[in-house]
Amino acid sequence: MNPFRLVIKELLYRRINSLIILFTVILASTVAVTIYTLSKASENETRKIMREQGLNLYIFPKGTNLIDFYSVNNTGTFPEEYVDKLAESKTFDAVRHLTGILQVKYPDWTDPNGSTHQIVLFGYKDEAMQRFLPKQETMGFDVEKGTVHVGSLLSKNIKSGDPFTIKGTDGRLYRFEIAKRLEEGKGINDQGVSFNLADLQEILGMKGKINKIEALGCVCKDGRIKNARKQVQAIFSDLDVTELSSIADARENQRLMMNKYGAYLISFVMLSCLLITGLLFYQNITVRNKEIGLLKAMGNSTGKILFIVIAKAFILGMAGGIAGFFAGSLVAEYLGKEIFMFTASDIKPLWNLLYYCIVLFPLLWMLSSWIPGLLATQIDAAKTLSQEY
Amino acid sequence: MVELNNILKKYTKGTETFTALENISLKIKKGDFCSVIGPSGAGKSTLLYIIGGLIRPDSGTVLYNGNDLYRQNNKDINLFRKKHLGFMFQQFHLMPYLTVSENIRLACYDNRQMKDISYYLEKCSLTAMKNKYPSELSVGEKQRTAFIRAIISKPALLLADEPTGNLDAGNSAVLKSLIEDYHKNGGTVVLVSHNPVVAGYSNLIVKLEKGRILTPVQ
Repeated sequence: MNPFRLVIKELLYRRINSLIILFTVILASTVAVTIYTLSKASENETRKIMREQGLNLYIFPKGTNLIDFYSVNNTGTFPEEYVDKLAESKTFDAVRHLTGILQVKYPDWTDPNGSTHQIVLFGYKDEAMQRFLPKQETMGFDVEKGTVHVGSLLSKNIKSGDPFTIKGTDGRLYRFEIAKRLEEGKGINDQGVSFNLADLQEILGMKGKINKIEALGCVCKDGRIKNARKQVQAIFSDLDVTELSSIADARENQRLMMNKYGAYLISFVMLSCLLITGLLFYQNITVRNKEIGLLKAMGNSTGKILFIVIAKAFILGMAGGIAGFFAGSLVAEYLGKEIFMFTASDIKPLWNLLYYCIVLFPLLWMLSSWIPGLLATQIDAAKTLSQEY
Repeated sequence: MVELNNILKKYTKGTETFTALENISLKIKKGDFCSVIGPSGAGKSTLLYIIGGLIRPDSGTVLYNGNDLYRQNNKDINLFRKKHLGFMFQQFHLMPYLTVSENIRLACYDNRQMKDISYYLEKCSLTAMKNKYPSELSVGEKQRTAFIRAIISKPALLLADEPTGNLDAGNSAVLKSLIEDYHKNGGTVVLVSHNPVVAGYSNLIVKLEKGRILTPVQ
């Protein structure tokens, strides 16, 4: 008789035992899939939240002090094409989301009421796509040409529907549609105006110039800043890199926290389920000792007996792994709506996880049935078959 | 066919050692019907399982067609059981999740043997029960199923451990006649029973008591 058929028949006969084992697999795989899916969603969520907080690495002309951006009107500049060259480089991978920026103080902006203020002007170049790295969603905010985003402090002085006006270094008055009025609490942006880079360069007469690149450091083994500095300076020795470590650390910590938390929880649930499965298989073997004794008496090899036990674990592991994948994806989708603000609607089943479920869970459950399986091969047929009850 | 020489088997339970069989020598020829009788605890089942390759004796040899059974490796002993032996037990030991015909098929190692299932089912009045599960069978039907399972692969040697122990007189008689049929067709039988009446058909009766053969062997 085909041993596989024997396994299926036994599995269906001892439904309670099989269902409990199946339940442990489904539980473990559901938890694993849910946590993994949510941790991925959390990474995306973090990315979106961090977009609000800004990028963590600043690339400046060498010798520039960060404080200059808050205290002087003119800092050292460098060509905006540097951004494109970095993005085109094969060896430059420690930094992502390269955004070329021209940031200057504008000491005498006159508001619509006639008052003069010192404000900060930001010109944003569209985020550069790194040619040799996998595509990612852009992080920085792009400003459309001909429009501006106005900081909350300035916004209060400009009536709704009015344009933003500013005098250029050429003496001309430039007008821009206000595409966005930023909420308060954006730091220096509260007293600033964001332009498309080309627009600001024209206003200031600084065509092709920028004075910093904002970017995001990688999670590198030997440190973000060290790596980034090394790679940037290998291409442009006249640039230096500095870091807003609080943002970088917060970002990195947030990203790693969910992964760590998930890894512990998955391991705990998985080990608990495997232990329960091992005990259930042990109980199953104890109940079946006469059947196994009979199979041995009929000349079946220890390999076949081991197969009968392990195959059951394989079938249940496979069925539970697949069911758990779908259950886990549904749970993640449901919980994601409750947990995440920005990425809730983006939580979809991660289909590559299905392959892992199909391979991993049968393997793990076969492993947990291994010792009971070996015990089954050691059953003394003569002893069990001669017992009267 | 089967030759046992100076078989010794002891069991240890805690600090106590119990001698199950001692100085057992016995020759069973092809076509013999050997009944091993004796009271409970005499070592009958131990002797049967030693012949069946399931209990390794502490000393002595078991020769099957001249080959020392316990000098072979486990794989060969398994193969020997599969191809040469049929087992019957007092408790039937049918797989509860297999039907009558599936339980019988369990012992088939060759597709040709499966063709005989219908014949034996008919012969044992089990045709109507072939798709029933053991829980739906009477005691007699269960033992007849176990009998077919034991002989379906046409083993040369049938080892029966108290096969009628759980049966009433009517079912015992049916089973005995089936075993006798198997014997008449050339099969060799070793049957263990505590009931001397069962040994009636045998040409070789071995009386065991306290692990020793009471001579003479008839």
